[in-house]
Amino acid sequence: MIRALATPTTAAAEPGLAAGPALAPAEVERSKTALATQGPWRVVVLNDPVNSMSYVVLVFRKVFGFSEPVARKHMLEVHEQGRSIVWSGLREQAELYAFALQQWHLTAILESDETH
Amino acid sequence: MKRIEVKLSLSVVAPLLDLMKASSDVLEAQIAAPLALDDIDAEFRDDWKAELLAGQQEELHALMGLFNSDFFVNGVVAFDEDNAEVIVRACSALRLRLRRHDLKVLGDEQLESGAIELESLPEPLQKPYMCYVFLGTIQELIIQHLDGAILRGAAAEEGVEFEPSADDDGEFEDDADGEDGGDGGDDEKR
Repeated sequence: MIRALATPTTAAAEPGLAAGPALAPAEVERSKTALATQGPWRVVVLNDPVNSMSYVVLVFRKVFGFSEPVARKHMLEVHEQGRSIVWSGLREQAELYAFALQQWHLTAILESDETH
Repeated sequence: MKRIEVKLSLSVVAPLLDLMKASSDVLEAQIAAPLALDDIDAEFRDDWKAELLAGQQEELHALMGLFNSDFFVNGVVAFDEDNAEVIVRACSALRLRLRRHDLKVLGDEQLESGAIELESLPEPLQKPYMCYVFLGTIQELIIQHLDGAILRGAAAEEGVEFEPSADDDGEFEDDADGEDGGDGGDDEKR
């Protein structure tokens, strides 16, 4: 089992890691790690000419639990704009979702929110 | 358990199986969809790919397993809540492989439109395109009839039998679809 699937939300369970000016070196390092894994990150699905609209809608409903209209909205964004941001949040959770989408053979990437 | 049986024309489908098998064999060692995992550390990336590949192999074995000796006797393949998800995924993997390898000369818009006349294609492209369409048809059948099972998970049971449509003609359906090749009256046959 990959790391993301084994511990999908550990970063979120440690909200105090980034705070405080007087941290010991080990704590500073831990804070940097926590920031890197906590995000924010985006899960982006890119268009492909192969997977059908109904298939993509099914995958979005299955992976994210979207309602049919929400899944269809994201599918149309992918189809018409070439990409859709389907989720954003903590890095490890984003990895989990990207992995799940790739299991369904969709082209999913992770993007840092700070790059946009 | 909800189940659909599809009677296929052996004369149409059997010639496609060699190509499906060859494509499936290639996908034993390579992931079908392109991956962009550049910002993930190398060790984790390797685990990630290995996990995806193992899942893909399982899907493809399930799909190719449908075309066993029984299939060559009665031409029937069956989908239910246990195999719907893996078969749909396997079809996607094979279609991606066909598109990237055998059908790479076709444009994206041309392929997405679905408006390609088989006879208009050069001969070497005809079988891959038939295969591509066949797998897409299988996907659509499953999504149309078993999407609820996929969304709930493989173990769920619906307890509702599908009512077959009298005027529903599948592209790959055998002419003799009135025959009962199934094992009981509860199963749908298209």
